[in-house]
Amino acid sequence: MTKPIYIHGSGCVSVQPTFEAGYFFDHVTSYTQNPVPALDPDYKAFIPALQLRRMNKSMRMAIFASRMAMQQAGITTVDAIITGSGLGCLRDSERFVEALRTDEGSLLNPTPFIQSTHNMAAAALALSLGCKGYNMTYVNNANSFESALLDAMIYLTEHPAATILLGGVDELGERTTQFWDLANYLKRDDATIPTPLIEQATPGEIATEGATFFVASQEPGDHTFGKIRAVETRLEVDAPEIFISGFLQRNGIEAETLDAVVLGYNGDSRYDEIYRTLGSSLFANLPQIAFKHVVGEYDTVVAAALFLALGIFQRQHVPQRLLLNHSSIPPILRRILIYTQRRGQNHSVILVEK
Amino acid sequence: MTPIVPIAVTGMGAISAIGNNVTENFRSLVDSKHGIAPIRQLDTWHRERLLAGEIHMDNAELYDRLQLSREAAYTRSTLLALMATKEAIETAAFKPGDGYRTGLISATTVGGMDATERYYDDYLVSEKNRSFIQTHPCGYAAEQMGKYFGVSDFITTISTACSSAANAIMLGARMIRAGQLDRAIVGGTDCLSRFTINGFNSLMIYTDGHCKPFDENRNGLNLGEAAAYLVLEAPEVARKRMKSPIAYLTGYGNANDAFHQTASSDNGEGAYLAMRRALEVSGLNPRDIDYVNAHGTATPNNDLAEGNALLRIYGSASAIPPFSSTKAFTGHTLAAAGAIEAVFSILALQHQVVFPNLNFSQPIASLGIVPQTALTEQRIDHVLSNSFGFGGNCSTLLFSKDHD
Amino acid sequence: MSELTQELKAKIITQLNLEDLTVDDLDDHTPLFGDGLGLDSIDALELIVMLDKSYGIKLSDPKEGRKVFETVQTMADFIEANRK
Repeated sequence: MTKPIYIHGSGCVSVQPTFEAGYFFDHVTSYTQNPVPALDPDYKAFIPALQLRRMNKSMRMAIFASRMAMQQAGITTVDAIITGSGLGCLRDSERFVEALRTDEGSLLNPTPFIQSTHNMAAAALALSLGCKGYNMTYVNNANSFESALLDAMIYLTEHPAATILLGGVDELGERTTQFWDLANYLKRDDATIPTPLIEQATPGEIATEGATFFVASQEPGDHTFGKIRAVETRLEVDAPEIFISGFLQRNGIEAETLDAVVLGYNGDSRYDEIYRTLGSSLFANLPQIAFKHVVGEYDTVVAAALFLALGIFQRQHVPQRLLLNHSSIPPILRRILIYTQRRGQNHSVILVEK
Repeated sequence: MTPIVPIAVTGMGAISAIGNNVTENFRSLVDSKHGIAPIRQLDTWHRERLLAGEIHMDNAELYDRLQLSREAAYTRSTLLALMATKEAIETAAFKPGDGYRTGLISATTVGGMDATERYYDDYLVSEKNRSFIQTHPCGYAAEQMGKYFGVSDFITTISTACSSAANAIMLGARMIRAGQLDRAIVGGTDCLSRFTINGFNSLMIYTDGHCKPFDENRNGLNLGEAAAYLVLEAPEVARKRMKSPIAYLTGYGNANDAFHQTASSDNGEGAYLAMRRALEVSGLNPRDIDYVNAHGTATPNNDLAEGNALLRIYGSASAIPPFSSTKAFTGHTLAAAGAIEAVFSILALQHQVVFPNLNFSQPIASLGIVPQTALTEQRIDHVLSNSFGFGGNCSTLLFSKDHD
Repeated sequence: MSELTQELKAKIITQLNLEDLTVDDLDDHTPLFGDGLGLDSIDALELIVMLDKSYGIKLSDPKEGRKVFETVQTMADFIEANRK
């Protein structure tokens, strides 16, 4: 079996100023729109202009978040790059489809095609870091980041001396967002961030985008934030409670020994019931923390939950805006479980410890 | 580095332009019968103009063969994947849910793009085809496959351009080795689409004739469509089931060229590293390899880089074992390439033959390496199979007849 | 001639997203690739599309582009000699 992996740095680009020094969800930027694009940090701080000019938002966000994580970890090179992206470089894909639908048969601009492939963020990272090591991209819908995380744990078991970049990135498309709306995925009325949850929830998600990257290795170091002990995913489950208790059991842990749970509430009244049921059963006595109501919904958003959990360990503080219940917060926060699903599918659990 | 425990391959399935199953593919390879012809099925401006490796079954026929309801939304990549996976599971002779932890690791780059490009404007105005909206993400096919076959312990999808399927096969082996799975169905699928045909055409690397891998006058690739899947099992699981493996996966390597977004470095650094790592993992020496199934897309850049990487591994042209690219048979099948060529590599081991590299006449002047141009019977114990992609993603798999 | 080079510079900047540059930053004789401006093979393909769309000149072999796109001046000369 795999061993825990230690996280030494993290970087996050989202619809909140998560990339600003010292930011930790105590102030939340509000929006009244759907979709919500991620805030743009100063990409030029990390990416030379000649490279930046061609990069789409996935590539930009991924490089920025990675460099933040590496800076924090105090490193300049990594041995491997493992990423997840549910939808890849959507905007360039759309551009190329639009070009071929109008101009097929004449010369088409190749750049959007080249940059449409799902591995382009991981490739841009390899290129910008000169990293010739293991390079992988998972495209497993709302469990894309979890697949990358599982691979990272296996990779570090195989290569105990390695230091790697692990992350998830997804960007908004224009036409694709229309498609999601037609498929009834999106919230139409009262689309706001922070998104009202539980009793105030309405049908639909708020579509957003973002990138979250981590520096990981198998050894603790000076900058270590915490460690990831285990991850599991299931496309479908009969009962989330059984899946989660099974996971805890397989890892030799009682639910009572968790210090808090991070749950994937996104304000979609059709599916938030899943979390509510858990909150009144398995997790009834635990502090319950939400995050999607402030960062929105996209396939790899669970990476932002991991960013949050590690930040909670580091600061030993749970941002008020994210706390869902009034359960007393233990004096020391050492063990957090993250559970998310999307539209009733792609269930995942991640166990994080200080 | 201690060599890995070899992983048993207990079944395989394939569908490509040269056959609807493994046996038909083998027959075509042996008969030097390629599947490259003017595009006939795909609705594109390039129909009858460009040559590609199309599978001669339309979606309706695939639905029928798979006994799928016409009401359900399946895109072509998924239909092809279901065909190949069905054959793989049948030859491996198991039933999902038999108590062994079984995973499904698929690879694709096209995903549901063929539906998206077709209904791009239609979705906005008509409800008729909106059930296809959900098929767009690359991860959707594997989820449908999991449900179709009842595989649920672990499902994921990899997309690393043209090395995708090789990476899916590699992950399956690593998960078995790490004790996460007992068995993995691994492979890849990509149908032809206007998106990819126009894409490679816009890069000016789509030949106007038949592709000529490793030839001095090669001028680009033909695309093809295919799906291929293997069943990998922990050797003790195969033993317990009394299923004798058809081959072993003994090595794998993954590297990034880190040179350019699309172009490979001239010295083939990524390709070299991927082959090196695969050899290291297996504990074999370069001279132990009896056949190299090359990536060989027939673009000027790939074949030069790959040829140079082979020269770096072997030191000289004469030391390189028999090698060939089978892309002139099937076309470049993108995310499926690593899997269809894994099937061909295993066929080479099973039948002790090297498949020919079609359309070759003149060696690349700067390399002086000559691929195998006719079907050759010889002893084959170990085969290397290369798959390289955009973004510098390079992967190599190593298959062996026995594991000692 | 200089009108054409000015026009080309503007087109190159737009087509290749060289947003930090202005027409005045580009010299007629600066190499566009390699140690000069640092363009790459993807840019060369974009320039082939530009030649086709703006001047009706088709290059069927990307290798031809290497000479044509050496500098803004060589591009202008090529266009003068080939445009219809």
